[in-house]
Amino acid sequence: MGNPWIAIGALALVGLLIPVGMMVISKLLRPSVPEQGKRSTYESGEIPTGDTRIRFNIQYYMVALLFVIFDIETVLIFPWTVIYRSALENGVGLTRTLGPMLVFIGVLVVGLGWAWRNGAVKWVRSPRAEKRKDAR
Amino acid sequence: MTLSDTIAGLLGLNANDPLQFFIAAIIASAIVGTFMLVNVAIAGPWAKRKITAAFTDRIAVNRIGPFGLMIIVADAVRLLSKELIVPEKVDRPAWDLAPLIIAGSALFGFAVIPMGSGVQVADPEVGLAYVFAVASLASIGLVMAGYASNNKYSMLGGLRAVAQNLAYEIPLVLTGVSVVLFAGTLRMSEIVAAQTETLVTIAGIGIPSWYAFVNPFAFVLFLVANLAEVGRNPFDTPEAPTEIVAGYQTEYSSVYFVLMYLGEFIHIFLGGAIITTIFLGGPTGPVLPGIVWFLIKIWAVFLFTQWARSALPRVRIDQLIEIGWKGMLVLSFANLVLTAIIVGVIA
Repeated sequence: MGNPWIAIGALALVGLLIPVGMMVISKLLRPSVPEQGKRSTYESGEIPTGDTRIRFNIQYYMVALLFVIFDIETVLIFPWTVIYRSALENGVGLTRTLGPMLVFIGVLVVGLGWAWRNGAVKWVRSPRAEKRKDAR
Repeated sequence: MTLSDTIAGLLGLNANDPLQFFIAAIIASAIVGTFMLVNVAIAGPWAKRKITAAFTDRIAVNRIGPFGLMIIVADAVRLLSKELIVPEKVDRPAWDLAPLIIAGSALFGFAVIPMGSGVQVADPEVGLAYVFAVASLASIGLVMAGYASNNKYSMLGGLRAVAQNLAYEIPLVLTGVSVVLFAGTLRMSEIVAAQTETLVTIAGIGIPSWYAFVNPFAFVLFLVANLAEVGRNPFDTPEAPTEIVAGYQTEYSSVYFVLMYLGEFIHIFLGGAIITTIFLGGPTGPVLPGIVWFLIKIWAVFLFTQWARSALPRVRIDQLIEIGWKGMLVLSFANLVLTAIIVGVIA
């Protein structure tokens, strides 16, 4: 049995070479007809107004912060799920296998509930949109 | 035995020597990669059109070749020979790398998927964790494509793609690990092996203990979260053709567009392969060889995504976030805890 990570590395190499190969084939096949106006940014056929890279409300930065917390938490759940069953079969009691994880998940659920109550997990409307909604 | 080991044995290479094993693994990867590309080539230009046409009562591609199958060749030549238009003010390295990441990252996941007895490039101990990790790499490509294009639609599409992946990644992984509670391992081949036992026998036919039957609640949750992960209806807001043109791929043409499109389809099949492995018993099945069962199962999941595409309306982005964080996340926690209690009671 060879080292599986060498095989995964080999597939990663192949996985990159396939798209690169397609790019090379296309490079050989495709024409190049530079023309005035062809390269302008698409904006439904209009001449683009303003820049794209402006200050912009991305609406979900609180959600992104929450994601970091929950993502780390899933990483911590992984090893627990692997040993859970064999620990039970070896006679370790439920209080010592399931109990601590219930407390851990409980803390996180309380945290999610707090975030929920404070409106962190919703699509934030811009002040202008809020005003429009109130005016209606 | 993995496919890499088998090939090393056939070629008389020493599997313990890193370089020799690498050569064998390259050959195995090329086989698996080509196999998946053939699937995508059939799915993208042909099957998708045929399925959508059947759902909407139309006739699709039927002019070239039997059942219009030659459209696959025609489309490949047509798209690869298109002129590549590079829009003004794109961020060049990022704009070029994004299609590579999207198409490549989806292929990486197939390294650990068992596609038949012994048809598996590698079988590491942390297979399931690895496949979840590489499957979410694509979101980097999406946000790169969205930002680098210097197009407002692309920007919105990229941001929506991130919001969606943030919301559905955790339910997906939490539901996935609830299977590990039964199997007690992350190694893909062992998860498949754990599903071969007979669950119940009805009228002399043994129902295998696929985790879709053992824990149907987790299966449904995973199917829904997977639809969101691969960005299909009803969760296709990042592309939403009626709202933001084509989302992050608005400014891509020629081979770059092909790669984005290809990457999405490989991703759908990767999602299908993960579902097949952890819920549908992997490549096991009666009579037919493993690889055929694997194909049947991943195509069944593909058909499901196409059915959802034709049948379900798109949810709004704010609804999507709320379904993810308030619905799916809570349900996946409930599923995890309940599964743990059930396993605790049985064991």
